[in-house]
Amino acid sequence: MRINPNVVPTILADLQQSQVSLDTALQQVSTGKSVNVPSDNPTAAAAMVQNTIESGDVDQYTQNVNSVLSTVQSADSVLSDVVKSLTQAVSLGTEGANGVNSAADQQEIATQVQGIFANVLSAANTSVGGAFLFGGTSIATPYTADPSSSTGFTYSGNDDSNSVAVGDQMSVQVNLPGSQVFSNSTTNVLGSLNSLVTALKSGNASDITSATSAVDSAVNYISQQQVFYGNVESQLNSQQTTLQQDTVTLSTQENNLIGVNEATAATNLSQAETDNSAALAAAAKVLPNTLLNFLQPPS
Amino acid sequence: MTRMGGLNASLLIGMQALDAAQGALTATSNNIANVNTPGYTREVAQFSENGENQTGDEVTGGGVTLDGLQSIRDELLNIQIQQQTSLQSSVNTQSSSLQQVQTFFTSSGNDLASALTAFSGGLAQLSANPGSTATQQSVLANGQNLASAFNTTAQGLTAAQSDADRQVPQTVTQINSLTQQIAQLNGQLSQVPAAESGGTTEDQLDQLVQQLSGLTGIAITQGTDGETITTANGTPLVIGGQSFNLQTSTGTNGFQQVLDSNGNNITSSIQGGTLGGAIGIRDQVIPGFLSQLNTLASQLGTAFNTAQAQGFDSNGNAGTNFFTIPTNTNDAAAGISVAISNPAQIAISSDGSADSNGNVANLSAALTNKLPSGQTPANAYADLVFQVGSATSNANTQSTAIGQNLTQLTNQQGAVSAVDVNEETTNLMRYQAAYEAASRIVSTIQVLDNAALNMGSSSSF
Repeated sequence: MRINPNVVPTILADLQQSQVSLDTALQQVSTGKSVNVPSDNPTAAAAMVQNTIESGDVDQYTQNVNSVLSTVQSADSVLSDVVKSLTQAVSLGTEGANGVNSAADQQEIATQVQGIFANVLSAANTSVGGAFLFGGTSIATPYTADPSSSTGFTYSGNDDSNSVAVGDQMSVQVNLPGSQVFSNSTTNVLGSLNSLVTALKSGNASDITSATSAVDSAVNYISQQQVFYGNVESQLNSQQTTLQQDTVTLSTQENNLIGVNEATAATNLSQAETDNSAALAAAAKVLPNTLLNFLQPPS
Repeated sequence: MTRMGGLNASLLIGMQALDAAQGALTATSNNIANVNTPGYTREVAQFSENGENQTGDEVTGGGVTLDGLQSIRDELLNIQIQQQTSLQSSVNTQSSSLQQVQTFFTSSGNDLASALTAFSGGLAQLSANPGSTATQQSVLANGQNLASAFNTTAQGLTAAQSDADRQVPQTVTQINSLTQQIAQLNGQLSQVPAAESGGTTEDQLDQLVQQLSGLTGIAITQGTDGETITTANGTPLVIGGQSFNLQTSTGTNGFQQVLDSNGNNITSSIQGGTLGGAIGIRDQVIPGFLSQLNTLASQLGTAFNTAQAQGFDSNGNAGTNFFTIPTNTNDAAAGISVAISNPAQIAISSDGSADSNGNVANLSAALTNKLPSGQTPANAYADLVFQVGSATSNANTQSTAIGQNLTQLTNQQGAVSAVDVNEETTNLMRYQAAYEAASRIVSTIQVLDNAALNMGSSSSF
């Protein structure tokens, strides 16, 4: 059977084919990716859309956890300070109720408790990153001293709280409004301090005792509120671990979808180079050969 | 009994042999001359034995006749090659268009997936920092990027569509020019018997038909007055010596429509070739992608606006539309834009208080919840990426497969029709030897004739 004497198109097609393989191998080695355009692997490219969006979200959730965690820790430590101040006020109240102080000493104690009132009020106005820890969702300074009020202060915050997204469909309540942290129907932290100051100033021992006991129960109340922040912290810590695992899972998935094994890619490249050289060498050998090369020219 | 006719008969045979060898040498030299001519079909000298001469009881051979030079071609193979050529140029047209299109769906930092990621991440950040103007500003910027990613992707698709549209009238002009030339050659062929044509006209005709098949799918029937060529669905292009021009006109959709010579719109029935490929991309493939993109832009924008309306902005006002979405869904992706200009207008708050982030969860949910299409935005976009990638990959694979098939067919055609320099060199030597031998016959007979004539001459004794 006659065969096609024109080998040029076949040789060109082979050369082109080996050039394509070489380009592909080179691109995979240089980008570290096996999927550079959707047509390289449509399924993987589609799965990568989800992966990219999820990775972005997980990164942001991780940042949120870190930022919220520092806010919550600040609130927790502020409340610990408040507990210390209140405990100090209880000691002062007990001292003021013992009946052996001079009027001047009594006033001195009252002034000290007044100072504690101011400290606690200032603590209740702590802000982190421009947002008040105990103002609910309001941007107004939550607490102002108000001598005209029976409790000695005015609350300008609101009763709301914010929840921050730390996962898909998962958010964590990150603050308690001051109206809840510092008071409920039976306890009023700042109010009890204010009453103690008033009682100390008046010198009435039984008033001082009952006011001191109110401050004492305020200590317990604040400690109970701290539990909330402790719980949020542990929730955030556990979410942090989950997010770290998600990051690993997503990057593993990304690698499985579009990554290349470097050893395989390098082997492919060297294979493609060899093939390409072989195709070129073969073309160089075959193309110029005809019967005429072996005939004597007519004399 | 006489044998006097014998020498003359041999002389005649020698002359015929000279003619035959000369003719064969012409074929060989023409073959060698056209070794690289595209579409050239090798010629082979056709010899036949002449009738026998009977003289009395004796029968002698009558010599050789050169019947002609036959072009060696396989019409069936040609038709297969034409069909595959049509398919390949159709697929190649689609493949190169899709290669462009898919760059808009490739992860680049400006693509929709990146824009969605940034927008979603920005909202999550807003959840932690509702009061931060910088964060609000970045959410607004991310929203603008998302809208512009929709715009860019839609523009990429419509640009590819316009490119394909521009190919339609260009290709139709080329088709008309080819069919006119083919009709002319058809006319020439019908007036010259095939044996006398020498194959040149047929070679030209085959070349033109081959080119035509690259432009559009065709069907060929051989008739008494040459080839009849129609489009794949039967619209006549060439009948014998007459050609029928296709026309184009702008359709109601703004795209070039293809009309037959009677003005009937045959656009949707065109298949194969550059024309079929371009029309397929323009009227089917890209509109499919565009429609999905538009649905996504429209539904995502609407869902986000709805979430926006559930909350309050930083000034305590009820949330207004974040995105402006064109009323016509067909323009949604190309026309979507951000409606608000002030980051304070993002409806972050659920209760109207300034530091509340209560509505951020709703805004985020708009990006992750299922749209009316039944898919989440990420899934809807992933689906689109898959379809674009898959269409491109299929076109590439098909192009490679048809290319291999075509190489195979061209090889077969080459095996039948291509000039082999080695073969021609051998033939050259064969016919040279034959010519030399035939001329030796003539010179020998001449010597013998002389001898016979001189038999009665006195000078010979």
